[in-house]
Amino acid sequence: MHYNHFLHKDRPVSDVPRSVKILLLSALFLQLMWHSFQEPIVAKADDLPAPLSTRTYVLSSLGEPIAASKFLNLWLQAFDNQPGASISFHQLNYPRLTQWLDTSLELDDRGHYPMLVAARVYGSIKDPDKQRIMTDYVFYKFNENPQKYWRWLAHVVITAKHELKDFDLALKYANALADETAGLDVPYWAKDMKIIVLEDMGQVEAAKILVGALIESKEITDPYELNFLVQKIAVLEEKSLKKRQSVEK
Amino acid sequence: MFSQVLTISRFTIIESLRNRLLLLTILVIGISFALVEFIGDLAITEHRVTQVAILAAFLRMSAVVMLTLFVVSSTVRELNDKTLEMILAMPIRRGNYYLGKLLGYMYIALLVSVIFSVLLLLYADSEQVLIWTISLFLELILVVALSLVMLFTFNQVPSALTGVFIIYGASRIVTSIFLMAKYPIIAHTSVAQQFMDSFIELLTWLLPDLHRFTQTEWLAYNTAEWSMLLPLMGQTLIYLLFLSFIALFDFYRKNF
Repeated sequence: MHYNHFLHKDRPVSDVPRSVKILLLSALFLQLMWHSFQEPIVAKADDLPAPLSTRTYVLSSLGEPIAASKFLNLWLQAFDNQPGASISFHQLNYPRLTQWLDTSLELDDRGHYPMLVAARVYGSIKDPDKQRIMTDYVFYKFNENPQKYWRWLAHVVITAKHELKDFDLALKYANALADETAGLDVPYWAKDMKIIVLEDMGQVEAAKILVGALIESKEITDPYELNFLVQKIAVLEEKSLKKRQSVEK
Repeated sequence: MFSQVLTISRFTIIESLRNRLLLLTILVIGISFALVEFIGDLAITEHRVTQVAILAAFLRMSAVVMLTLFVVSSTVRELNDKTLEMILAMPIRRGNYYLGKLLGYMYIALLVSVIFSVLLLLYADSEQVLIWTISLFLELILVVALSLVMLFTFNQVPSALTGVFIIYGASRIVTSIFLMAKYPIIAHTSVAQQFMDSFIELLTWLLPDLHRFTQTEWLAYNTAEWSMLLPLMGQTLIYLLFLSFIALFDFYRKNF
């Protein structure tokens, strides 16, 4: 043998038995044939599955519930983009979506991510039924903890008023926002949203009575809120006058 | 005696540096940084909290895995190369050898904790990061001691690693499992279920309460206080003594 044979780490291909070479090629051929008989790979979007229990996620994350919550948020957010397929929010199972948002909040009760996506992402599609599912979900969570979730209920008041065009629903949410946050650290513009809604519903007199009652109750101590209410009552007076004048004509 | 301990610990540290463990740590930092920045771009709100939560969990697991792999593999190499037998042939007590190794690995655990915490400073409050780092260091001390126990018990890398990861994982989730058993959805009435409930309760007594250590909540919501470290130090000291005597018990019984 030539000394080159010993210089190289591997032996030459000619040292491999012929049977091994033949069987190798046969095995490769078999794999290609096997693959050709398989069903073609087609992109297929999966439906949103039901979430597992919160405890399952706590255990599988080895006791890292906050990290698990954030990971679930991102996974859910990206669920509409699947391998080779993209599904619209209209195709998502919204009741099941609320279960996922609940799971995320149970894992991290200080997070607001699920409420933001409920109010501004999933609640912004052009499907009134699905929007109502999200607005009702936010309303339900608000009633559990008004101090924590008031800002999201304020968002869905806007959604109900301007996107759903359902003023009764908007008034229901605005009333809850005012009644459930009494004494809590919630800004006046949120508590006084029902005045705006009443005004937009054309119930100027009702709005005027409400503002007057708020001012007379002496419960309002914030000077900016008092100023807003005083200005509002002047605007409502003017609207009421114009309405009376147009009726008389 | 102490000079023997210090010499063995010094050579343990030199070995870790030669095995490029610190380089691996820096590589993990680089990967973590890229991962976390990508995740931050995905999140539509709560960017910082999302980044810090995922980063802290990832760094904690990485530190545990890296240190376990290093401790087990380097000690097994000493066993297989007969280096350990050569050391023990000299007038060195087995206890001193164990103490030297433990001290060296604790120093490496400290280095790993500090290097990982540097990245966290970009995303979390510095005081919270400092408390988190100290807690991680205490947790890694227990992991090191547990790795040595498993190795002296099993002598093989796969068995030792499996043992460490099972016990570490169980320590992290034992409190959750105990609560699930204590407050079940359907009452446990059968003998088997009651036996399992008792077994789980026994585990809570025997395993360290690692779910109190290195909490992501500290970094995400700035809830850590210095006083929280006292019970962690107490738990670390007691469990370290417990694991050390188990290791010495096995080590002194070994015939080389």
